[in-house]
Amino acid sequence: MAREDLEPVWRAIASPIRRRMMDLLRDGPVSTGALSESFRDLSRFAVMQHLRVLEEADLVVPRREGRTRLNYLNPVPIQRIYDRWVSRYQAPWTESLVSLKGALETEPSATRKRSAS
Amino acid sequence: MTTAAKPLPNQVLSIEIKAPIDRVWREITKTGAIQRATNNTILESAMTAGAKLRYYSPSRKRVFVVGEIVEINAPKKFSHTWKFTMSPDDPTLVTWELSEVAGGATRVTLTHSRWTNAAKMYKSVGKTWQEILRLLKLELETGDIDLKAKMMYGMMGAFEFMLPKTTTVDYANQVGW
Repeated sequence: MAREDLEPVWRAIASPIRRRMMDLLRDGPVSTGALSESFRDLSRFAVMQHLRVLEEADLVVPRREGRTRLNYLNPVPIQRIYDRWVSRYQAPWTESLVSLKGALETEPSATRKRSAS
Repeated sequence: MTTAAKPLPNQVLSIEIKAPIDRVWREITKTGAIQRATNNTILESAMTAGAKLRYYSPSRKRVFVVGEIVEINAPKKFSHTWKFTMSPDDPTLVTWELSEVAGGATRVTLTHSRWTNAAKMYKSVGKTWQEILRLLKLELETGDIDLKAKMMYGMMGAFEFMLPKTTTVDYANQVGW
């Protein structure tokens, strides 16, 4: 399934439970079992369902390490959101260099047209 | 021996690229020519398990990453030790894993492991890999990278002379990297 569409990401982070899960994964991977411990009010099944939504959005990458299933937070889709919605305000120097380059390379155009008469 | 360094969690990044697995494999294992996605470096290695590996600058006067191939299993897995010549950090391990995805696409998962809390680059390296994956996707899907990256590479080339001595080829040869 192509992940060009950021919709699954928005849907994934729309849930406060899933946002909390992402917070718990920020400093390093956590096993599914340990995550369940942090959500005492949720059944293990519910926890796994939420993890599934996060995986579908590519926000979580599960890896089998030994006998444990570790869940890693994938920074890539978060970066894509950042790039699309935030970073345009953060790189004014790039834009001004680009426009400087453009200005230097543009041929001076004939701005004055002689009138026919 | 200094006090024992504690291990830090692995860093895992994953992206889907709309290109066949063989194409992705060829790009990330390409030697002798510039890899625009990988910080515009030239990979040189015999590309067999145990062989040395170096990532050079386009001018070939500098070496940025040295290491040794651990596993190479086309087109699915490529792992090597990773030492950044500008940093005193001990070598870590980089693992590229590719898998086919429906529709002729490829899932690329990059794991950077063997970190300890003695490593200074732990925090910054994630950003670098994000940019590499982003550019790899652009390169393979559109045949080009963006202007911002090209300008960055231009500047990096211009200021290469200012890099520390540990990035010179002579130094790498001297210390046996």
